[in-house]
Amino acid sequence: MRLTLARVGRPPSLLHHHAPFPRRRSPPRQQVRCYASFQTGGTTFRVFNSRTKWLQKERAASDPALSREADYLKDEVAMRVCERLLDIKRHFPRALDLGANSCNIARALTRDNPDPELPSSPPLASRITSLVAAESSPALLHRDADLPFNAQLRLERHVLPAPSPSPADGGVSGGSDDAEVPLPFETDSFDLVLSSLSLHWINDLPGMLGEINRVLKPDAPFIGAMLGGDTLFELRTSLQLAEQERRGGISPHVSPLADVRDVGGLLGRAGFQMLTVDVEDIVVDYPDSFALMQDLQAMGEGNAVLGREMGGLGRDVLLAADAIYRAMHGNEDGSVPATFRIIHMIGWKESENQPKPLPRGSGEVNLKDILEKK
Amino acid sequence: MQPKPRPIQRFAQAVSKCSVPAAEYGRCIVADYNFVHRDKCVKEFMKLKDCYLAAAKGAK
Repeated sequence: MRLTLARVGRPPSLLHHHAPFPRRRSPPRQQVRCYASFQTGGTTFRVFNSRTKWLQKERAASDPALSREADYLKDEVAMRVCERLLDIKRHFPRALDLGANSCNIARALTRDNPDPELPSSPPLASRITSLVAAESSPALLHRDADLPFNAQLRLERHVLPAPSPSPADGGVSGGSDDAEVPLPFETDSFDLVLSSLSLHWINDLPGMLGEINRVLKPDAPFIGAMLGGDTLFELRTSLQLAEQERRGGISPHVSPLADVRDVGGLLGRAGFQMLTVDVEDIVVDYPDSFALMQDLQAMGEGNAVLGREMGGLGRDVLLAADAIYRAMHGNEDGSVPATFRIIHMIGWKESENQPKPLPRGSGEVNLKDILEKK
Repeated sequence: MQPKPRPIQRFAQAVSKCSVPAAEYGRCIVADYNFVHRDKCVKEFMKLKDCYLAAAKGAK
């Protein structure tokens, strides 16, 4: 186990409180005294270099044509997230899109005829008075500010503070997490929070979900989607085998991702009620593994794992990985598939007049009887 | 005017001409992928690399 020396600004009695998941306490953070202590709980496990991620997004957005071409996955998932709004018969005066990327959610909201069951339905944007799109990369956020969809809903772009490089270690550890949490929004200020394909880069996911819960009004929903589980397992395994054979060891190239089982627990821990978690696999075929890697780069989804090897992959490894990718996972027509596993989640902020599940053991009908009668 | 291809695109182009040695190398790895060690398939890889180098040279 890694032990860290950390500054702790909370009463000593809490130091022995071991939470099952580490969770950062949100503001007000008053530093009364500084203790040097071994911490097993209360600290955030750092996995990603948020500064690197920010630079990758900025770089990807600096070439709008290429970046738009690689938006197919984010547009598709944004559309699927927004479709879930059809199930909630409500009007949302103020909504937040957290980790907006290039405002893919706003684009999906303004799409015509979102409801497949009706011959014609108004765009979902008509159910939202104003949408705040929050994203830390200004270039990506403002990439499509001139496109026509901006006129179809009241969209406010909010640039979240960018992670700063920490000078102490030359930026290797990726700056501070303070850019991620807390969110710069007031408590109980949103009627809806949406998030599409951003949460998988958050170091402190429990803390972030807690913050989302904080900014929501009581009885308001959070609808999110993130990459998880076996996403890109084909690429992960081929690169591992290629490095193993060519260089005799492996280094991380694909992020560790949250699993479906974890997400329910995390949402519950953050205080959400009436949880819904489900999984969808999107498989995209590419001509070769290099096309996949180029597109990932253009999406701004390159590797940003802490402790990754600096510099690109060597040609030998690339050559070997492509051959292994084809041999292990390739399609018959010569293309290679890449799986993106999307974890969808819905949670509601607690409120007094909200339907609640019945207490355990209060059921009066045995499910077995019903199922066996069939 | 056609934009200049990126190095990775030139690389992919050259690799695509070597599907036969690539398949051979892939088969060698996949045959026993739980016990991959350094230079397990070095013979097949060198064939693949020679093919790639020839293809890359020819494209210039």
